[in-house]
Amino acid sequence: MAAAAEQPLLTVEHLTMQFGGLIAVDDVSFTAARRHITAIIGPNGAGKTTVFNCITGFYSPTAGRLALHCESGDFLLERMEGYQIAQKARVARTFQNIRLFPRMSALENLLVAQHNALMRASGLSVLGLLGAASFRRAERAAIDHARYWLDRAGLTGAADLDAGNLPYGGQRRLEIARAMCTRPALLCLDEPAAGLNHAESRDLNKLLQFIRDDHEVGVLLIEHDMSVVMGISDKIVVLDYGRKIAEGTPEAVRHSPEVIRAYLGEEEGKALPPEVAADLEKQDGAT
Amino acid sequence: MAPEIAPEIAAETAAELRPTTALDPVAVVKDAGAAALISLALALPLFGFRIVGLGSGRGIDLEQRWDWVAVAVAAVFLGRIALTLALHRRQGIDAAAGRMAARLAGVRRYAVPALGGFMLVAALAWPAMPFVDRHLLDLAILVMTYVMLGWGLNIVVGLAGLLDLGYVAFYAVGAYSYALLATNFGLGFWQCLPLAGAFAAFFGVVLGFPVLRLRGDYLAIVTLGFGEIVRIILINWYAVTNGPDGVSGIPRPTFFGLPFTANPDEGTTAFHTFFGLEYASMQRIVFLYYVILVLALLTNLFTIRIRRLPVGRAWEALREDEIACRSLGINPRNTKLTAFAIGAMFAGFGGSFFATRQGFISPESFTFIESAIILAIVVLGGMGSQLGVVLAAVLLIGVTEFFRELEQFRMLAFGAGMVAIMVWRPRGLLSHRDPTIRLHPENRR
Repeated sequence: MAAAAEQPLLTVEHLTMQFGGLIAVDDVSFTAARRHITAIIGPNGAGKTTVFNCITGFYSPTAGRLALHCESGDFLLERMEGYQIAQKARVARTFQNIRLFPRMSALENLLVAQHNALMRASGLSVLGLLGAASFRRAERAAIDHARYWLDRAGLTGAADLDAGNLPYGGQRRLEIARAMCTRPALLCLDEPAAGLNHAESRDLNKLLQFIRDDHEVGVLLIEHDMSVVMGISDKIVVLDYGRKIAEGTPEAVRHSPEVIRAYLGEEEGKALPPEVAADLEKQDGAT
Repeated sequence: MAPEIAPEIAAETAAELRPTTALDPVAVVKDAGAAALISLALALPLFGFRIVGLGSGRGIDLEQRWDWVAVAVAAVFLGRIALTLALHRRQGIDAAAGRMAARLAGVRRYAVPALGGFMLVAALAWPAMPFVDRHLLDLAILVMTYVMLGWGLNIVVGLAGLLDLGYVAFYAVGAYSYALLATNFGLGFWQCLPLAGAFAAFFGVVLGFPVLRLRGDYLAIVTLGFGEIVRIILINWYAVTNGPDGVSGIPRPTFFGLPFTANPDEGTTAFHTFFGLEYASMQRIVFLYYVILVLALLTNLFTIRIRRLPVGRAWEALREDEIACRSLGINPRNTKLTAFAIGAMFAGFGGSFFATRQGFISPESFTFIESAIILAIVVLGGMGSQLGVVLAAVLLIGVTEFFRELEQFRMLAFGAGMVAIMVWRPRGLLSHRDPTIRLHPENRR
């Protein structure tokens, strides 16, 4: 048991993703632990979302290994189809541009998330069509589970409204609730605080910490909002131009010279490649 | 085409119709004057001069038509003023329509079930109505067939969001399954009905498997192609389908083994002798009507129930966002295939009913236009709405048949109906969707 706890939930080894001539992710390795929030940060275009899409099966990586170790077994994610990663390896995700089912109610969104369990309970719809008691019990349990997450997301009153009509912050929280309804081992959040105001992003912090502490879930987080990242992350991975440039605790990353250089640039001259710097010096000499 | 409204609401609405902002008459005249000026510039060379002949070496002879120019400019001036006034009034109407729609939404909660109940009772009692003759009953059977097909396609298009332009292929499979099984192996209608449904569902899976990875327009084109392929196979596979000559002598359905004939074969009792009635050909028609009514209601019941099951919600979720579905562990291919197969199954039932009603089928009955009509019924009714399909089928099929004396002009009525619905109800007659389950049922609006 102790050994299992030490084994990381997700191990990413030498992940490389190439689109034609563009190398979006270049030999990135990191781990994400159970009951930890691991943040991936980096400037725009650093390849954060590409890493996510590889982990959740929307892209199949050019090279590398993505290993997930959870209670239900060990999985090599790069060999699985997208929906199986969610179904079997229990990796859930949210999207940078929210992807709810806008014309279905919030509650329906959360029930769709429990599709596979409910489908088994409905005997592939046969028992459900006949109105079997076992299915009705399973459906009630699913509604209770959905209600639990609606409560946590502060959306109980809006349960019967169309998801597309919820306010923006509510849609963000509903998407997280929907991901949690799949009972995931690993939750991947792509910029959950984007577009939220200060109070909303504070609520989000609380929700994420609650998920981490009370649900034994590993959280992988892409975020630009540093108040979220620095406040709740247990570990930060920094990407720049597809490469990992730093990894460690928020404190360590904050003071890493590589990270400061990537975000703020460098003192003049140092940041430029040597040949460009030489050209500039020549020009300066000419004028 | 204005919806019927209670008088007090109408009176209120009339008050609201008055324009909210007053028009500035000077601005209107200025605007019209500018338009008139432009038309003057255009009309002078176009209307003002007319070539009457080529002059003898001195250029051309022209006739001046200043009266024409004056009429054109005056028409533009007055027309422009009328247009401005009309548009201004229209703004008031639009605002009032919005308020009225909000008010009607409250009525809808009772109106839709009431309308559905009324239509069900009317459908059950239809053959007993005193004014219903053979022609009207035949028409009702036709409408009901389209209602059933519409309900079947509604599963595929309305719920799962798969735009299927080849639905008639499964209708054809059902019809030919019954016709060939009955004429070659002597099986009866009731034995063949489930077989026809199973064959059609099987075809749905076979056709769906390669094409369902496509989306939207691409799926529509490929299903259209498959629909045509099935029809062309029916024409060319002469040895089995009898090609363009079709299959004739398809047996009529029996009432639990009692045939509807005046002079039954030796050893069988006819329906009318068994029940001690006079023979009348209407009996068979009434029976056919109830067969299709029961089939259609079964389709409806099935759809209503399956919408509330996980698979039904997964269909709707797939229609909304396939990528999100995959991220939740839903297998998109299998889920779409079930929708395709179940939709095809109901088309198969409908097809075997069509075969037994007609007694003769040929590939001509299964052209693309049939698919288009069924799809039009689903779209015009409001995608996913069961009652909307009924209304659209009655409107498109019933009303079009009603105008049959107009011959080819009846297609004009068909087109006009479609245009009218798209102008007034662009999302279909009944586009409202109620959640399949509620956490707070007491808060229903």
